Amino acid sequence: MEQNKNGKKTGIGVFICQCGKNIAGGVDIPALLDFSRGLEEVVFVADNKFSCSEEGQIVIQNAIRDSDLERVIIAACDPGLHLMTFQRCGQKIGIDPAFVDLIDIRKWTMFGSPDKVDEKHALDNAKRLIEQTVKRMRLRRKIPKVTVEVNPSVLVIGGGVAGLEASLDLADKGYKVHLVERLPTIGGKMALLYKVFPTNDCAPCILAPKTAYTNIHPNINLLTNSEVTKVEGHIGNFSVVVSQKPRYVDEKKCTGCGLCIEKCPTKVVDNEYSRGLGERKAIYIPYDQAIPKKAVIDTQNCLYFQKGSCKICEKICPTSAINFKQEPKTIELKVGAIIVATGFDEYNPTQKTEYGYGRYSNVITQFQLARLLDIDGPTKGRLLRPADGKEPRSIVMIQCVGSRDENANRYCSSVCCMYALKHAQIIKEMVLPDTQVYISYIDIRTTGKGFEEYYKRTREIGVNFIHGRPAEVVENNETKNLILKVEDSDINELLKLEVDLIILSCATVPSKGTKHLAELLRVNLDENGFFKEVHPKLRPVETNVRGVYICGSAQGPKDIPDSIVQAKAAASCADSELRKGEIQLPEFMVKQT
Amino acid sequence: MNKIKKILELKNPVSISELDPNFKSEVIAHPDARGLAACFSCGTCSAGCPIHEVFSEYSPKKLAKMVRLGMRKQVLSSPYIWYCATCHNCEQRCPQNVSFFNVLNVLKNMAAKEGYAPSAWVEQTKQVVKTGIVFPTEENWIKKREELSLPSLKEDHPKLKKIIELTGVNKIKPRVDKE
Repeated sequence: MEQNKNGKKTGIGVFICQCGKNIAGGVDIPALLDFSRGLEEVVFVADNKFSCSEEGQIVIQNAIRDSDLERVIIAACDPGLHLMTFQRCGQKIGIDPAFVDLIDIRKWTMFGSPDKVDEKHALDNAKRLIEQTVKRMRLRRKIPKVTVEVNPSVLVIGGGVAGLEASLDLADKGYKVHLVERLPTIGGKMALLYKVFPTNDCAPCILAPKTAYTNIHPNINLLTNSEVTKVEGHIGNFSVVVSQKPRYVDEKKCTGCGLCIEKCPTKVVDNEYSRGLGERKAIYIPYDQAIPKKAVIDTQNCLYFQKGSCKICEKICPTSAINFKQEPKTIELKVGAIIVATGFDEYNPTQKTEYGYGRYSNVITQFQLARLLDIDGPTKGRLLRPADGKEPRSIVMIQCVGSRDENANRYCSSVCCMYALKHAQIIKEMVLPDTQVYISYIDIRTTGKGFEEYYKRTREIGVNFIHGRPAEVVENNETKNLILKVEDSDINELLKLEVDLIILSCATVPSKGTKHLAELLRVNLDENGFFKEVHPKLRPVETNVRGVYICGSAQGPKDIPDSIVQAKAAASCADSELRKGEIQLPEFMVKQT
Repeated sequence: MNKIKKILELKNPVSISELDPNFKSEVIAHPDARGLAACFSCGTCSAGCPIHEVFSEYSPKKLAKMVRLGMRKQVLSSPYIWYCATCHNCEQRCPQNVSFFNVLNVLKNMAAKEGYAPSAWVEQTKQVVKTGIVFPTEENWIKKREELSLPSLKEDHPKLKKIIELTGVNKIKPRVDKE
């Protein structure tokens, strides 16, 4: 081995990967080899068709052995993708992982890369990067391995179906799980869907085993009415502060008998569980299958909290569970990993003024329709239009409201086609068989397992489809009927339909508070405001913060089967990190000696 | 065979040789019309168009698709590209931000250059050169202006004339429609 100019013998080898044509097609490889050969302390250069292949790795190992290399730089692709591959390759013949580096020159040459540049710039960039990396490699020192113990517990944020699945999965594996839910009950949006596609199962019925078990699982600490307010630390040892709003009802004493609700004198519009179509009292249990089935006082509307008198609930409660003196609680938790499952909200369609939501009472959203169809909903399962309580004889569902729209949300919300089909089936087969149901669509997207069959079935039972996106909805002042203008592409005719009820299939948007939570967790959001994964294909539930995982519609619009899959994946990721009981700290957290 | 076709008004399908693959690029090369490339034919434009409502042959959705397919001759020679009432409904409601009004302007300019400008439009231009107003002046206008003591209308507009000469609008020939 050559002695270099300043007497040190770091013996660096530079390997340039052709990556088939991905790199070789966009940059002059021989020029790069010549350039690298001239760099200080570089004693070996070679190129390789596919460095990551078995053969490519053997070439690197042989060169290390034959030319007595001590440090290796591979100029190829993204270190996030392959650094570990080459570190393992070096480790096999005794090179410390700190002395193996992978640099990405492929981003400037490969088709499809957003950073692709012309051949001259690619060469300049690659030269500069190789030069800098060689300089850095010469200065590198061995990094001591520091391991820390991990806390075998997990914080799950969000008690919807994804959060429940992740919690139960981890709790069954033996981890202590703290499940934090903002609302007074767990179950999330799924509990309000009445039925779910493609099986038409009763949503609360298939959800209940999960909610009920979560409530009594010995390894799960359920914190409803709570929000995360502070997060510090790193993987293995996060400290989290959760603040819990008081229910003003002692959970241990409340039996959920409902006497207080019966006697409460204050009625208010229920925006959360009846979506503005029904009423509840100032003290309430969200719905029959709510878990935990404990009453909660809404202080904004409670007479005692607003005017200082009433307290009827306190007098009537047979177990003296009402406690007006409850204070907000601050709970400090130590956890090893965090799973975010904060779900979605329905897009507010008042911004689409042409459809008249908010102005015309007979224009409602699919979520509101689900509540109207629900046996446990505000109308006890009768489909009555909000304006006059009449049964609608004709209904139009408008798809893509706020989705695939440059002025609202650019993405496809992916579930709206299916829930529109579901509601059309319920109306035609269960509720109002004689009512005409039309679905006005741009494209119908039914790509899941069993979904196309579901679409076919919807066509067969007599639901009508209009191929076009409506331009406007106008209300008939007297009848409160709605006049809709749409062109059907298939017949090239303009249709002007007067119907009784219009349902908007609204986009799914990130749930309220997503941005704030992302700031607390220091986790990236994507361009649409959903939590951003490390890699959309290969690492879909990991985030830029190690130890923080995402699942369900917090990551992007998705249906229940996909949410379950992601929840299981997130639980598995947390388990892989925590199960060894200790973790090695990443390089940047270790002080070099 | 052709004779029979003519008598029965049978149509031939559009063949690929009739499609001009560059037509779309030419149109969307214009900054105002760039959005057209993103159109997914949802039909919101046609459904809300007041002209389409009474005159179904004029369809923004159909014209937009014809441009994207490269039906140059059919689009530019079409009388319908001149039918827009400029209400901007389509533009305001388009989910893909296509400014169809601007697309039509691009198409009209192209059509005029290729000799498809309607004669009424050419007459209007002449009127503007002469009086500075689109409509022909009427006797009672002049009287009314005198009554309201407004200045009389100018007959000569040298600046306007210059603009029109520079842009070449005065050279545009009206279309010759075959009987």
